[in-house]
Amino acid sequence: MSEVDLDSDAAPARRRIAPLIVGVVAVVMAAFMWVLVRAEPETGSSAATTLLDRPAPAATGTYGDGRVFELSRRKGSWVVLNFFTSNCIPCQREHPELIAFVDLQRDLGVDGAEFYTIVQHDEPEAVEAFFAENGGDWPVVYDEEYEFQNGFGVAQVPETWIIDPNGIVRGRIISEVTAEFLATSIQRLREPS
Amino acid sequence: MSRALNRRLKSWPGWALITAALVVVFAVAASADRGPLDEGDRIDAISRRIACPVCDGESVFESRNPASEGIRAAVVTAVEEGRLDDDGIIAAVADAYGAQVLLVPRTDGLDALAWALPVAAGVIAVFGLAVAFRRWRDAALLDGPVSDDDRRLVARRRERTDASSGDDSDA
Amino acid sequence: MLAVGVTAALGSAGLLVMLVGGAVGALATGVAIVGGDQRTLRRGNVYAWVILGGAVLATVMMQIALFRRDYSIAYIQEVGSSATPLLYNIAAMWSALEGSILLWLLVLAGFTAAVSARFRRRSADPLVGWAMVVLYTVVTFFALLGFGPASPFASGATVPVGFDGPGPNPLLQNHILTLFHPPILYLGYVGFTVPFAFAIAALITGRVGEGWLLETRRWALFSWGFLTIGILLGGWWAYEVLSWGGVWGWDPVENASLLPWLTGTAYIHSVLVQQRRGMLRVWNLSLLVATFSLTILGTFLTRSGVISSVHAFSAGSVGGYLLGFFAVVVVVSLALIAWRGDLLRAPGAIDSPVSREGAFLANNVVFTLFAFVVLLGTVFPLLIEAVQDRQTVVGAPYFDRLSMPIGLTLLFLMAVAPVLPWRKAAGEVLADRLFWPAWCGVGAGVVSLLVGARGWAPLAAFVLGGFAGGAAGRQIVLATRRQGWRGLVGRANGGMFVHLGVILIAVALAASNAYTHSATLVIDRDTDVEWAGHTFRLIDVVNEIDERVDATRADVLIDGEQVYAPAVTTYLAQGMTVGTPSVHTTFGKDLYLTIDGTNPPDVGADEVAIRVFVKPLILWLWIGGALMAVGTVLAAVPPTRQRRPTDPTSAPVGETIRV
Repeated sequence: MSEVDLDSDAAPARRRIAPLIVGVVAVVMAAFMWVLVRAEPETGSSAATTLLDRPAPAATGTYGDGRVFELSRRKGSWVVLNFFTSNCIPCQREHPELIAFVDLQRDLGVDGAEFYTIVQHDEPEAVEAFFAENGGDWPVVYDEEYEFQNGFGVAQVPETWIIDPNGIVRGRIISEVTAEFLATSIQRLREPS
Repeated sequence: MSRALNRRLKSWPGWALITAALVVVFAVAASADRGPLDEGDRIDAISRRIACPVCDGESVFESRNPASEGIRAAVVTAVEEGRLDDDGIIAAVADAYGAQVLLVPRTDGLDALAWALPVAAGVIAVFGLAVAFRRWRDAALLDGPVSDDDRRLVARRRERTDASSGDDSDA
Repeated sequence: MLAVGVTAALGSAGLLVMLVGGAVGALATGVAIVGGDQRTLRRGNVYAWVILGGAVLATVMMQIALFRRDYSIAYIQEVGSSATPLLYNIAAMWSALEGSILLWLLVLAGFTAAVSARFRRRSADPLVGWAMVVLYTVVTFFALLGFGPASPFASGATVPVGFDGPGPNPLLQNHILTLFHPPILYLGYVGFTVPFAFAIAALITGRVGEGWLLETRRWALFSWGFLTIGILLGGWWAYEVLSWGGVWGWDPVENASLLPWLTGTAYIHSVLVQQRRGMLRVWNLSLLVATFSLTILGTFLTRSGVISSVHAFSAGSVGGYLLGFFAVVVVVSLALIAWRGDLLRAPGAIDSPVSREGAFLANNVVFTLFAFVVLLGTVFPLLIEAVQDRQTVVGAPYFDRLSMPIGLTLLFLMAVAPVLPWRKAAGEVLADRLFWPAWCGVGAGVVSLLVGARGWAPLAAFVLGGFAGGAAGRQIVLATRRQGWRGLVGRANGGMFVHLGVILIAVALAASNAYTHSATLVIDRDTDVEWAGHTFRLIDVVNEIDERVDATRADVLIDGEQVYAPAVTTYLAQGMTVGTPSVHTTFGKDLYLTIDGTNPPDVGADEVAIRVFVKPLILWLWIGGALMAVGTVLAAVPPTRQRRPTDPTSAPVGETIRV
């Protein structure tokens, strides 16, 4: 092996830039490692929404009997929208809580919040069967034109949204809710701060 | 074809012809543009730029998730209304679902790095090449003309490569 | 019950053998080199064979466990199912993380043994010795993964009598390519460990000349070829299985396989400059180090769950290990290169940018830039998350936009580089040699215009494709005219076939990206629905259920001639529904049919909504891939007559005949 002596001779004196390059590469790699170490496995999405404290979109849907539901006409009372699909397991789990919440609001009389289920991607028969079996007698709205889904940006059910009497979005809860959490949230929003 | 003719052909007249032909080709391609895209193509193009919000990096175009179906419906409606341009439709979707549905990074804020860094890397690479060639040229000047030592080195190297095996065919 | 325990125990034993064999092998060989103990070095081979034995044992035990649905093993509970057909059951081994590590180990053990066998007469040479130390160390690391956090033989929870697992992910059990794509990809992915090992050995021994390069050139070419085929098979699988009608989605998993391919491609070009001129040593070493570390990084990105991906069939607890190993590889390599910096300084200079070596250098810069863009786009969401703690997605449109100018530049280089002489090129020479290739480019442009191609970007791709194709064709014609059939083999000539394959793929990608159309058609039984020059009519909607799947397919008659059957298939064990496309392929274009929506149509329905894509030139992707494979093989064949490296390139080949 005579490569070394063949190759390493006669290198004219030049400015050394190699250490500089190695240094730069080392710094870049260190920064890169920092990013990788900080990266955490995917977690759930946050409940933040750009719609918060902005007017709710003027979405319309249809009731089971074909009448039109217009969200913009519900101004004047607190409105709670629950996005729902009958075959979603968390929706099934939270259903008793929703029943309890609606009962609580009815006890409040005219001050109570209105509650609507917004059905996404589901057949009316399946939804009706679900309500017949699990109870719940509040209005069910079908989002056939995707106006609620796209207006509110709801990608996954269940989600629950709180809208105040002025039609302003005040809260968004992703995944399951409890009756107590919903009721106290609205109570807190009601009290002027 | 005679050798002389071949030579003549391949000098500037031939190349001028090639340049002219290319100009014509691209001029035709540019002038006879596809015209307005039909709505289906526009819907596809837009939905390719929106991420399905729940399915790991797939676009709305690819995904068969119900959420994507809903977004696609919004795109179809917006395209049929014809009020917004592509960017406007995408901005409207991002407004509702949040910026994580954007498949193309924005050009402001930290996101702009996604565009700036490749450009910077390209500039640095070209600059580095220029520096390298400059250093090589300086080194070559420094070495001076070929000496007897150099010739001996080449001869030695030649023997060695001849003795070893390995292909090095280059036409 | 006894036999069941034995399978898992033997499998674990195989992994333990690999772990111990790798660790002891690395230590013993390292100590022997330092101490100059020739006898131990000569016996060093035995570790490689022990490791291979352990890997084969573990793999055989895994296959036995899969075959017998041995549900005492956690991994079999995860991927086993009595309903899985035999072939997919074999492939179930690599359908999740733990088994993939086992496949990785098997391939790595195979390479280690192959290196050991190939260099058995030189096992006392410190260069070979250190390379073996590196290989043993890598084996030890992966055996540690397989024995510890990602053990494929870990015992599972007790299952009730009659338990049956879900089987592999549905996407991994409905196309035969599942059987070939991962092993072939791994042959390439893991194979780059060998040139990396020799690069590190060269740095340690200080023998940084061209000796180690010559030894590993074919290994690198071999790995590169398999990586190429593996990536293309992955695209083919995506096209046939995922029903969105594309071959490449710039998904993190796909990018993880592309990254080492890009740096590997840069390497197999720039290595020619080093062989010929003795230059670019640091660069070549860095490319090999980058290629190997990118395989580790890619595995980390896709297996640790930090980046979500549709292809991430499993996430596990190996993230920290892989990240640590990546850091070690980078730090050690950087330190070695810095330490040996003086030796790496090569004499000589590249005289002119307009020369073969100048073109190779430009090629390297562009490929490295490409790799940087792909890496940046892939990890960009992590960067944003680390700095601003918010979620972002970087998707296909970003990569498409940035890779377009890069791809066009590469096509241009592919056209010019093959005709450039070494050292320096005169203007007339270029004008002469590029003349007919340039006309090929013009011809390609005119033909594209005539068949209706519009838009400057795809047209530029076609023109440059024709130009580059002409240059490759010219080289092949000249070489065969001079050398007969030998003009087809050897690095330069075989390389031209690879170029032709790449050009076909580039043109096909440009065309299919630019000119794909799609529509949703509602078809019925009575009328022919016409779209894009074809007619579609519904024949029937049929449902077939077996113990594994519930498949509803729509039989669609195209042009009154042939029936195609897109389907919606629900895999019962997982409750997962996937659409299965049906593709009508011709040389000009594909008709790609899927059933619209996620719900299967009613059986016997009179109306079905189908989604139809017209995708031009898709078939040429696979033809181009085959050509690349053939070209790689031709490039690896050593020509019997050779030019002496120091002869001028204009000298006729074969004047100095050697045996």
